[in-house]
Amino acid sequence: MSSQRLDELLRHPSVWCAAGTRNGPKTLPTGFGRLDERLPGGGWPLDTLIELLLPAPGVGELELLVPAMRAFGHAGSGSRRWIAWLAPPYLPYAPALANAGLDPGRMLVVRPRGLSPQGTVPSSRGLRPGWRGSPRRGLRRGLYPQGTVPSSQSSSQSVESPDPTLWAMEQALRSRACAAALGWSDAAETTALRRLKLAAEEGGSLGILFRPAQRAREPSPAALRLLLEPRDGALDVTILKCRGGTPGRVEGVVRGEP
Amino acid sequence: MTHDSPIPSFPMSSPNLDLFPDTPAAPAGPRLVPAAAAGAAPRAARELWLCLWLPSLPLEALGERATGPAACAVIEGEGSRQWVAAASEAARRQGIRPGLGLNAALALVPGLDLRERRPDAEAALLQRIAGWAIRFTPVVSLEPPAALLAEVRGSLGLFGGAEALRRRAAGELQECGLVARASIAPTPRAAWWLARAAREEAVQSLDALPSLAARLPVACLGWPPEAMRTLVTLGVRTIADLARLPREGIVRRFGPALLDELDEGFGRRPQPRRRAVNPERFDEILELPAESESLALVEAALSRLLERLQAFLRARAAGIRGLALELRHRDVQATRLRLGLARPTGDVAHLLGLLRERLERTPLPAPARALRLRSTIATPLVLASGALPGEGAQRVDPEAAARLVERLRARLGAEAVFSVCLVPEHRPESAWRVAEPDVASPVAAGHPRRRRSLRKKGQPPASEEKGTVPFSSRPLWMLAEPQRLLQQEGVPLHEGRLLELGSGPERIETGWWDGRDVRRDYYIARARSGLRLWVFRERDRGGGWWLHGVFG
Repeated sequence: MSSQRLDELLRHPSVWCAAGTRNGPKTLPTGFGRLDERLPGGGWPLDTLIELLLPAPGVGELELLVPAMRAFGHAGSGSRRWIAWLAPPYLPYAPALANAGLDPGRMLVVRPRGLSPQGTVPSSRGLRPGWRGSPRRGLRRGLYPQGTVPSSQSSSQSVESPDPTLWAMEQALRSRACAAALGWSDAAETTALRRLKLAAEEGGSLGILFRPAQRAREPSPAALRLLLEPRDGALDVTILKCRGGTPGRVEGVVRGEP
Repeated sequence: MTHDSPIPSFPMSSPNLDLFPDTPAAPAGPRLVPAAAAGAAPRAARELWLCLWLPSLPLEALGERATGPAACAVIEGEGSRQWVAAASEAARRQGIRPGLGLNAALALVPGLDLRERRPDAEAALLQRIAGWAIRFTPVVSLEPPAALLAEVRGSLGLFGGAEALRRRAAGELQECGLVARASIAPTPRAAWWLARAAREEAVQSLDALPSLAARLPVACLGWPPEAMRTLVTLGVRTIADLARLPREGIVRRFGPALLDELDEGFGRRPQPRRRAVNPERFDEILELPAESESLALVEAALSRLLERLQAFLRARAAGIRGLALELRHRDVQATRLRLGLARPTGDVAHLLGLLRERLERTPLPAPARALRLRSTIATPLVLASGALPGEGAQRVDPEAAARLVERLRARLGAEAVFSVCLVPEHRPESAWRVAEPDVASPVAAGHPRRRRSLRKKGQPPASEEKGTVPFSSRPLWMLAEPQRLLQQEGVPLHEGRLLELGSGPERIETGWWDGRDVRRDYYIARARSGLRLWVFRERDRGGGWWLHGVFG
């Protein structure tokens, strides 16, 4: 009885616990009730690495993350931490972000050279108007950067993390300046993934790594691994691995409206 | 250049210690300060001067350690008239003394390592030591060629007394590998005498000076050689002996300037000191021991320069906004690296990390022989307050944000790291643009009050520009440039399969005024693979289909 009262007391908002251990593993609701039900703690695990496996970028993975990203903007009174986008396959579109309730100014986009499949980043004056000429590349399936870097660069890479995307992601996670870091890379090996997870834990940041669905069979140290498959305008989410939960399949999570 | 206020005159207070008993008539020359308060109670001096004398400065300025095992000497002079200016401890043990002729020195120690004296390097080193000395007091004055004077009276409380301060100053210089004599006295001249006589002590009262003068040899006056010879013939050995001579006699024999020096030493005449001007920006050159292409050697030299930068910034409690590193080669033009920082920083470890990133990516055209590091003007640092336990992870440390951007840019290039913002524009590709990441004032910008006002009534947060988001459906992913889609009987194809057109059309027809007009019908289309795409058909130019975005 008394311990229950103590718990009540400690839960009072004006009481701070120096060690944040009391609350157990922190989670953030995904914003999708059916997915929250299946995830331990009722949401995305925080301060760790999450792996999302998808057949191609654009299946609805961002829509899945929008409620969480919105929550990062609100969490904590002084929090204006960035959301880092590392080597995204396309450009995050500011009007759509604002439309979704996200502050475009809080996005930190990092596009290492040689890793932008959609060609050049527009100049600061905006997209170049005269696009009438023939566009360069088609929208391919599995548009992953493959971690290819011009050889002149790779020769001088430091030994620790040869892939610039993963390096940048680690920096973002460790920096304490980012609430979350979203990375797109196919170059990640187990050791690199473990580094990312450690960086996320140390930096108090959520790392979300997007990888091709073929990687589902490989082992990974990520705390949560989800396989995303589009079906009939909705998204089927398969929980491949999750800390303290059971794997399984949740169908029709994100309802699109084409 | 600023002058300190002239040192006030200190009356001789004890009649027993009158330095000029032979001149009862007191032929008060025009320069002599009248002993107005003779007989007053002893008082503590109003100023205390720390003198740091660096006897091995010529050697140390060339990067040699005076106490090292090698016998080396610095020589000066021209042609056949060359002499030793300074000698290392090892050389002195073998009989090499400053002032010894070059040939005599070589006869004594045939393997003597000889270096040519470089007054410019000595001046630079002295200036650097002056920059270090402002940690003790703001009143620092150079006494070329090899001494510093600092008024430390006001700093005694902070450093635990005169003796503790003196020891600390000497100790810190010794840690840097510099031989220094540190003495404290109530007048700058007396402090200089004490240091030159290697009497390292802290004399705090003017009354103690006359008795002390009996133990100071005239050699520490540093007078010209002719004057010294005259003193020897007169049988004057100590400064006290000299002070006992008739004043007119001193003026006649040595000139009025040297009598003034004596008066300055005993505090009877003010000795205004010119303050050392501390440079606003760091600018130093470090020559490498040998020409090198090895990055490790360059980095080692760089970290030494950065250590100096750190001392420079610490002494000023300042930070810098940018750095320029120059690697000098023999024949080729120097390699230049510039580092811009998002916020002023004094964190040298962070700077080293950034410069190392850049160095690793910069091919050297030739071996480097010297490094020059220049900073922007040092600006005062505003120290951030730490977070209370429990809120640490939530607060943005503005330093952390700036550092992340700098680190990423150092490696990936400035244009690879950016943020985005809205532009009030109907053309989808012009409705946004690249923006500089906001590191300047994330805390101020994220002030709860402002955030709340932005978010009220569920508005999107950043819609400061009016009328920017009238759209209900825009894709989160945008292609940098629209892509042409093939079509089959008026229906667009994606990956060889027909697209299923969903909601639409949304007609965007605007921009006719600036020549970049668009006339398009946008649709949301679903591909067989499950992707939702944002496509449009052009209303002119043959009605082609284009892919513009992906609903992620």
